[in-house]
Amino acid sequence: MKFRYTLEVLTIIAIVVFSVIFLYTSSTMSGTKFTGTDTAGSQGIAELSGTPLENFQPLIPQWKPPGTEIESCLFALQAAIGGIIVGVVFGFWIGSGKKA
Amino acid sequence: MHIMEGFLPLQWCIIWWIVALPCILLGMYQLKKVLAADREALPLLGVTGGFIFILSSLKLPSVTGSSSHPTGTGLSIISFGPWITCVVCAIVLLFQALFLAHGGLSVLGANIVSMGIVGPIVGYAVYRLLRDTPVNIYLTVFLVTAFADMFTYITTSLELALAYPAETGGVASSFILFLGIFAVTQIPLAIIEGFVLALVFKYIVALKPDILIRLNIFSKEKINAARNEAS
Repeated sequence: MKFRYTLEVLTIIAIVVFSVIFLYTSSTMSGTKFTGTDTAGSQGIAELSGTPLENFQPLIPQWKPPGTEIESCLFALQAAIGGIIVGVVFGFWIGSGKKA
Repeated sequence: MHIMEGFLPLQWCIIWWIVALPCILLGMYQLKKVLAADREALPLLGVTGGFIFILSSLKLPSVTGSSSHPTGTGLSIISFGPWITCVVCAIVLLFQALFLAHGGLSVLGANIVSMGIVGPIVGYAVYRLLRDTPVNIYLTVFLVTAFADMFTYITTSLELALAYPAETGGVASSFILFLGIFAVTQIPLAIIEGFVLALVFKYIVALKPDILIRLNIFSKEKINAARNEAS
């Protein structure tokens, strides 16, 4: 009998393996903050240029989300926009497949 | 991969905008042509673009003690090529610059070049290399996605290295420093993204194989072989 879900299983294994490695790494790095690469990159620029981070000012004025909760909410909104489009199209394809 | 607003000198902002703009215009022209030729490509464009919206919104922790975004460009690269992918990436990056303070308007050109141009061109090269070989289509999607993702971050590192060469070692030394920050963190995320988009492609093959054949994304034989494997 042919196994149909090889790709699904491989995807789950990859996610589980990297999650375990992540949990192990984060547990061995107690006290360090899990910064994003964008922030780490900005710190690298500050080090290389010898200019403190706060001296880098936007060339074009920029609106910033007033808090991390709002930022997370807006990221979720972005994902939701994509999710709605994907859901509608997959639904349309499944529906038109059944109709046919 | 976002270069933050104010972190790139003005001359580099202008240079990257000059590189990005013709690619966006070419992408818009191609998009118009594709949709005029086959309106049924629109839902596929929605799905592939939707995944760029979803995956690039996720900030995932990596194994290096840092977190980063996947790009989600693999499906769009395979289905519509690098230039149309560039247009979708420009929309996503504009959203993030305006509403999330991730990136910014002055550095948008640089961010489009890394995520919307170089990453997709490398991914598309991988796709063209493997498309007419016996390599399994899901492995092709995996490799295209992972390479596009990795090269997005390698390009960001290069953009920053060019703008901020180290006092000792110059651009090469800076490039290695930024690769350590961006690219190493990205390796596990690129692998997971490759698996996820290969899986999504499996469902597209199952649900709408005719559009993939009509747009000549893969040959009829390859699509049918993939469908038989999955059923």
